Amino acid sequence: MTGWIHPGIVVFLGGFLIPFIKWRKIKVAYFLLLPVAGLTIVVLTSIGFFGTVPSWPEALHRWRIPFLQYFLVLGKIDKMSMIFAYVYLIAAFCMNIYALRVKNDWEHVAAMAYVGSALGAIFAGDFLTLFFFLETMSWAPVFLLWFRGTKKAMGAGVRYALWHHFSGACILIGIVIHLNRTGSIDLVHLPWGWGGEFLGYNLMLLGFVVNSATTPFHSWLSDTYSEATPSGSIYMTAYTTKTAIYCLIRTFSGIPLLMWMGAIQAVFALFLAVLENDGRRLCSYHIISQIGYMVAGVGIGTEMAINGAISHALCHIIYNALLYMGAGCVLVVVGTAKFNELGGLYKYMPISFWLYMVGGFSISGFPLFNGFVSKVMTIEAAELIHNAPIYLLLEGATVGTFLHTGLKLPWNMWLQGKDEPPPTIRAKLKDSAVNTPVNMLIGMGILAFLCIFMGVYPKVLYDRLPYAVEFIPFTTTRVFSIMQMFIFTFMGFWLLRKLVRGYPTYTLDTDWPFRMAGRKVIWFCEKPLMAFANFVDEKVMNLVHFLIWFSRNPALALHIKKEEAKLKMKRFVVSQETVEKHLQILGEKRRRYPGELPKLTLGASLVLILLSLSLYLILYLLIK
Amino acid sequence: MNFLRTYPKKLFWTVYFIGLTVSLILDFVWLRSDFLHYHFPFQYLPEFFAIFGIFGCMLLILIAKGMGCFIVRDEDYYEKNQGDQE
Repeated sequence: MTGWIHPGIVVFLGGFLIPFIKWRKIKVAYFLLLPVAGLTIVVLTSIGFFGTVPSWPEALHRWRIPFLQYFLVLGKIDKMSMIFAYVYLIAAFCMNIYALRVKNDWEHVAAMAYVGSALGAIFAGDFLTLFFFLETMSWAPVFLLWFRGTKKAMGAGVRYALWHHFSGACILIGIVIHLNRTGSIDLVHLPWGWGGEFLGYNLMLLGFVVNSATTPFHSWLSDTYSEATPSGSIYMTAYTTKTAIYCLIRTFSGIPLLMWMGAIQAVFALFLAVLENDGRRLCSYHIISQIGYMVAGVGIGTEMAINGAISHALCHIIYNALLYMGAGCVLVVVGTAKFNELGGLYKYMPISFWLYMVGGFSISGFPLFNGFVSKVMTIEAAELIHNAPIYLLLEGATVGTFLHTGLKLPWNMWLQGKDEPPPTIRAKLKDSAVNTPVNMLIGMGILAFLCIFMGVYPKVLYDRLPYAVEFIPFTTTRVFSIMQMFIFTFMGFWLLRKLVRGYPTYTLDTDWPFRMAGRKVIWFCEKPLMAFANFVDEKVMNLVHFLIWFSRNPALALHIKKEEAKLKMKRFVVSQETVEKHLQILGEKRRRYPGELPKLTLGASLVLILLSLSLYLILYLLIK
Repeated sequence: MNFLRTYPKKLFWTVYFIGLTVSLILDFVWLRSDFLHYHFPFQYLPEFFAIFGIFGCMLLILIAKGMGCFIVRDEDYYEKNQGDQE
C-alpha cells in the first residue's frame, strides 16, 4: 500500500474541496494545481522515485489491497499507463485553464472527478478496480451535461447514463464469467472467439465497444457531447473513449472484427458529418471517425499498430480538445455554433481561428502536426499487413477529415459571407480582434503548441510508447502523397462548397431505432398498461366498498341480496306492478341500511365466542 | 492586433496553385525514378493521390447528400414527435 501516491485519487478527492474554498484567487490556483500535482507524481514515478518502472510488458505494482480472497491493484504502473497518465494530466491542465470562467464550482468538481476516475481506470491492475473507475467515470459527464440546464441537455444526460450503464452491465457480466472460469481478477489479455464459451468475453468486448463509441454504437457520442456545457464538453471529448481504447488494447487487441469495424467507422462517421449543421456535433463525428483509426489499430494488433493506436489516442486528446475549444469559444462568445447562423467571424476572432486551424491541420494529418506522426503509423500498419481495403478506408477517412475539420467548419464559421457576420451575431461582438476570453485563448494556445511540438519532434512521443519504435514518419513518399491528396481535396471542396453549407436540420443516426423503441415503451406504459392498471384498480376498489358495506350489518345485507336475487327470478312470472312494488320496498330497505343492529345479551355473546373458539380448537386438532 | 483582421487571400491562392502544379509535375517525374516507395501497385498509378483526393472528397459530399434525402429531419425532430404523443 505504501511507496506511491495515486494521482487519480489526488485529483478525484481534491476536486471535492473546490466549492469550499472561499477566496476566488486561491480557488483558481487550487483548481489549476490539481492536475499539476498529479503530473508531479507521474513525473516522479517515471524518474524512478517510487521504484524503477520496468520495460514493457513488465509492470510495477503498487497499492495492492486485499479484498475477499483477491488483491485489488490500484497502481499497475507500466509504460502504457504512464504515457496515458502524462497526456491525461497535461490535457486536464489546459482544459482547467479553459474552464476558469465557469461560475458553477460543482462543474469543476464533476470535471475533476471525471479526470480522476479516468486516471484510476488506466492505473487499475485488476478488473474490479477497472470496473469501479469506469462506473464513476460514467457518472461525472452526466453532471457536466445536466449543469447546462437546458431541456435537451437533461435528456441527453439521461441517454448518456443509459448507454453507459448498459455497457457497464455488459463489462460486469463479462468480468464475473471470467472470474468464474479462471478464478483470477488480474487485468490480462483475454481470449476471444465466437460461440457459447466466449459469451462473457463477447459481452465485455461489447461493453468496451459501446464505451469507445465504435459504429454502430457511436450515436451516444454525437448526441451528448454537443449538449454539454462549453467547457464540460472539452473534458468529455478526451477521457471516456480513450480509456475504452486503452481497455481494448489491454484486453482484446488483434481481433480482425475490430479492424473492420474501425475502418468502416472511420469513413461512415464522415458521411454523417457532411450533413451536420452544429459545429460541436461535427467535431463529435470527427471524434468517432478518429476512434475508427484507433480501433482499427487495435484490431490489426501488430506492434506498430498498437503503438499507432496508443499514439493516435494521445495526440487525438490534444488536438480534439483544441477543436472543441475552438467551436466552444464561438458558442460562448456569440451564443451559437450552428453553421446556418454563422459566418464572417474572422475579423472578430482571428486568434481563435488560427488556434483552431492548428487543431484542424493536426486532425487531418498535415506533416509537422501531431496527427500526422500518429496517424501514419496506423496506416503504415495496414499497409504492412497488405490489406488494401483497410488502407483505402483509412486513407479515405483522411480526405474526409481534412474536408470537414480543415475546410467545412472554418469556412462556415469564420470565412464564408462577405467578411462580416450576420447582423444578429455582429451585435454580440466588440469591434476588436480579440473577442474571446483570454483564459480560453491561453488554454488553446498551450494545446496548439503541443500539437506542433509533438508534430515536429515526435521522438518525445515515440520514446514513451510501449513497444520500441523504429519509425520515421517524415519520408518523402508519405509527405508528398499526403500533401498532393490535400491539395486536391481542397479543389473538390471548392467546387462543391455550396453543398456543404449548413442547413437547420437534424440528421438521424443509428440511435433512431433505440429512441423510437424507447418512445414506444413509454407509450405502452402510459397508455395500455395504465388503462389495465386503472381497470384492475377500479374492480378491487368496488370489491372493497362492497365488503365494507356488507360488514356493517351482514344479516340485513344478506337479506337484501337474497331479495334482489329473488326479484330477478320473479320478474318473468309476476306482473310489472308487483315487481315495482317489491323494488320500492327494497329501495326503502337499502336507504335504511344498516338500520337497527340486533343487540345481543352478554350471555349470547359469550356463547358465540366460546363457539368460535371451540370451532378453532377442532380445526386445530383436525389439522394436527 | 489589427493586422490579424484580414486574411491573406491572394497569398493563399498563389501558394495553392504553385503547390498544385509542383505536385502534379513531381508525381510524373518521381514515379519514373526510384524515389517513391509504396506498398500497393495501385499507388503507383500516375497522380493516384490527386485523383483519390478530389474524387474521394466529391464522392463523400455527393453520397452524403444522397443519404440526406432519407435521414435528414427538422431540427426539433425528437422534441416535436414527443409533443404529438403527449
